[in-house]
Amino acid sequence: MEAEKTKIEKIDNAETEIKQYIVVQLGSEKYGIDISYVDNIVRMQKITRVPKAQVYFKGVINLRGEIIPVMSIRKKMGLEDDVFTDKSRIIILKIEEKGSIGVLVDEVCEVVNLSENEIENNNISSHHVKDTFINGIGKHGEQLISLFEINAIIEEKDNA
Amino acid sequence: MDVSQYLEIFIDESGEHLQTLSDCIMELEKEPDNKDVINEIFRAAHSLKGMAGTMGFKRMQHLTHDMENVFQEVRSDKIAVDSQMIDLLFKCLDAIDGYLENVKATSDEGEEDNEVIIKELNNFIAKASGETPAETQPAKEEAAASQEQAASDKKYLQVELTDQERNELNSAKEAGMHVYGMTITVQKDCLLKAARAFLVFRAVGEFGQILVYRPSSQDIEDEKFEQDFSIYLATQESFGKVKSAAENVSEIEKVEGEELENFALHQEEKQEETKPAETESAAKPVAKPAEKKASAPAKKAAAGKPATNRTVRVDIEKLDTLMNQVSELIIAKNSIVSISSSEDGGFNNQGFHEQIEYLERITTSLHESVMKARMVPIESVVNKFPRMIRDLSRTLNKKMELVMTGEDTELDRTVVDQIGDPLQHLLRNSADHGLEDTALRLERGKPEVGNIFLNAYQEGNNVIIQVGDDGNGIDTEAVKNKALERGIITEEQAEVMTQKEIVNLLFMPSFSMAKKITDISGRGVGLDVVKSNIEQLGGDVEVKTKLGEGTTFTVRLPLTLAIIQALMVVVRDEKYAIALGSISNIESVPVSDIKYVENKEVIHLRGSVIPLIRLDQLLDIEPLEDEPENLIVVIVNRGDNQVGIVVDDLMGQQEIVIKSLGKYINGNKLISGATILGDGEVALILDVNTLM
Repeated sequence: MEAEKTKIEKIDNAETEIKQYIVVQLGSEKYGIDISYVDNIVRMQKITRVPKAQVYFKGVINLRGEIIPVMSIRKKMGLEDDVFTDKSRIIILKIEEKGSIGVLVDEVCEVVNLSENEIENNNISSHHVKDTFINGIGKHGEQLISLFEINAIIEEKDNA
Repeated sequence: MDVSQYLEIFIDESGEHLQTLSDCIMELEKEPDNKDVINEIFRAAHSLKGMAGTMGFKRMQHLTHDMENVFQEVRSDKIAVDSQMIDLLFKCLDAIDGYLENVKATSDEGEEDNEVIIKELNNFIAKASGETPAETQPAKEEAAASQEQAASDKKYLQVELTDQERNELNSAKEAGMHVYGMTITVQKDCLLKAARAFLVFRAVGEFGQILVYRPSSQDIEDEKFEQDFSIYLATQESFGKVKSAAENVSEIEKVEGEELENFALHQEEKQEETKPAETESAAKPVAKPAEKKASAPAKKAAAGKPATNRTVRVDIEKLDTLMNQVSELIIAKNSIVSISSSEDGGFNNQGFHEQIEYLERITTSLHESVMKARMVPIESVVNKFPRMIRDLSRTLNKKMELVMTGEDTELDRTVVDQIGDPLQHLLRNSADHGLEDTALRLERGKPEVGNIFLNAYQEGNNVIIQVGDDGNGIDTEAVKNKALERGIITEEQAEVMTQKEIVNLLFMPSFSMAKKITDISGRGVGLDVVKSNIEQLGGDVEVKTKLGEGTTFTVRLPLTLAIIQALMVVVRDEKYAIALGSISNIESVPVSDIKYVENKEVIHLRGSVIPLIRLDQLLDIEPLEDEPENLIVVIVNRGDNQVGIVVDDLMGQQEIVIKSLGKYINGNKLISGATILGDGEVALILDVNTLM
């Protein structure tokens, strides 16, 4: 009885710990986006430029009648500008208080399950700007995946 | 009968009656002898009482009743109107409003009896008529209203019954019905007495059967009666309900009556049982179920869910148009369906295109109608202001007068709902800060009575509301010093600030100029809230002031939300929409006509000098290598200001649905939103107001 109980508890714990991430390619690195934020992934489409907007905003798109702003994570992180290819995608994130927002990625690779012990919290002291957007490193097999801190990404950035 | 379903109507209509009362009492204060006004007041008070009674709100009914008594005395010239009375009446209105608020929140009127006010009211009447207050104090029972009446008015007691009628009445009684005798009095100036009587019969007939008519029903039909007629009604319902049903018929002055017990007796004996309380206590066991039923609605209402939905009252004509357009829409749809299923089925055939055009026309007019249905006059908001200014005038001890124009200007319901507070704030501001003390006004050679104004009018796709005063104006130096003192601006900034910039400091959060904090204003929660409220509605607010002469706040609000007519313009490969309402004309201007003023491009067009704005430069688009010989210039205006916008090409006029850009993209006042074009592409909407 006792043993069985602990076993059940273990399973419960394991279930709560596992998180799903969408793995995307940005330049040479792989990044993970918590799937609970992801509403949709759409192909590249015409982005309407919005003059005078923050530089990291590429513009807006029409997603089934809704106007969705599209942001370049590359620009926000200070990387070189996006190059659009067949593989480019817009990931639509649904944020409770501010509404939907699209982020541009070079490629969507896969969806992975990461349990908590596969995630290393990002304590590596670094002065790179982009690291403020990362809240941990996921180890999936051989790959290392930088996990995005969504709130930091969507937050206003003045020095961009 | 369950009254809870009428709660919304009750709240709506009571609100209206209260407003009428408030308006009329203001009027009455100015012209105490105006009989029309008094009659109007009387009607409103009476309806209010009737409605409160029907809904089972006893306290509200009671208070209104006593207030009505005062009006009655005024109407019959027994009391002269004085300011003390007006104050008391306003107190009454506030109390009734309090009941109404309670009803809105909890579906119940609350526990406040407002005895002080009632006592004052009664004292008032007593003083005037020499009667003792107790006499006019009605009983708290349902039949309350009948007590003050002398028995001589109760003509139903003098009815001589025929044997047949008596038998009918007795058998009704035996069947467990209540039998009520009532005397209905129509108003003196009533033109169609027979029609009114008929309406009364129909109203009370719904509750049961009318067994006795005096005069006979034939005579009543032929208008062979003076001012009143009497009936005996057999019903299961309580008397209160029957009475208010009868009272709700217009031009009925009063309804008197009570339950009758015994018909074999003659009138002398009946006279003795005129006390209404007795009828209540004398209710026979068989009548009990009905009694219970009558009191149920009140309880049910109390338990009912709080808060009511927001409603718009729509003119039936508007709805008819809407209905017609929807029918047309269905016809158009059917035509298209039949074309698509027809033999040759080609979508290229002419009929198809015709139908599409037809469809287009219908959707446009449908949209217009729906917008119109949502529009309400700002009257509903602004008409509480005269009363407010009157009260302020008392509290501040300044003489002032509010002049309003354009109350019938219509705005979307959502906007109207939210514009009240900002306007109220601006008015209070004018009353408190704007206007000088009476002494100072006289010293300055201004009229003793301060003038506060509220003007509303439509301008293109905007509604403009101006609120202002002829008071002191804003002392920009004082504002500047205050800002310096608070550290909001630096010395250097202060040096170079324009008058307009200084005035705009007033819109900063927690910036109050009041030297002392009063009830009215000066707590620093002020103009910034006004500004943000108005901006939330898509409008803006401007200030014009002249020291010593007064201040005017100009509030600009969009007439419609969501859908507008726009001109689509093209710059290189980008498309933008400009609201048609702000465009005055479109010109083709040769490049050679461009002149320079202070190094800025302008054109001279029909006598006015218009600055040019190159849209490509404005929107950070690469300039063209070779400029065309003629520029397409869209002239837009806002008030008296004009600006010419240079575009590459025009795409034509289109109806666009305004969508927000969301909360992420900001720092961009120029783009007020986006819209989706027919091909799914997104076009941005330019707010040209920011260019001027």
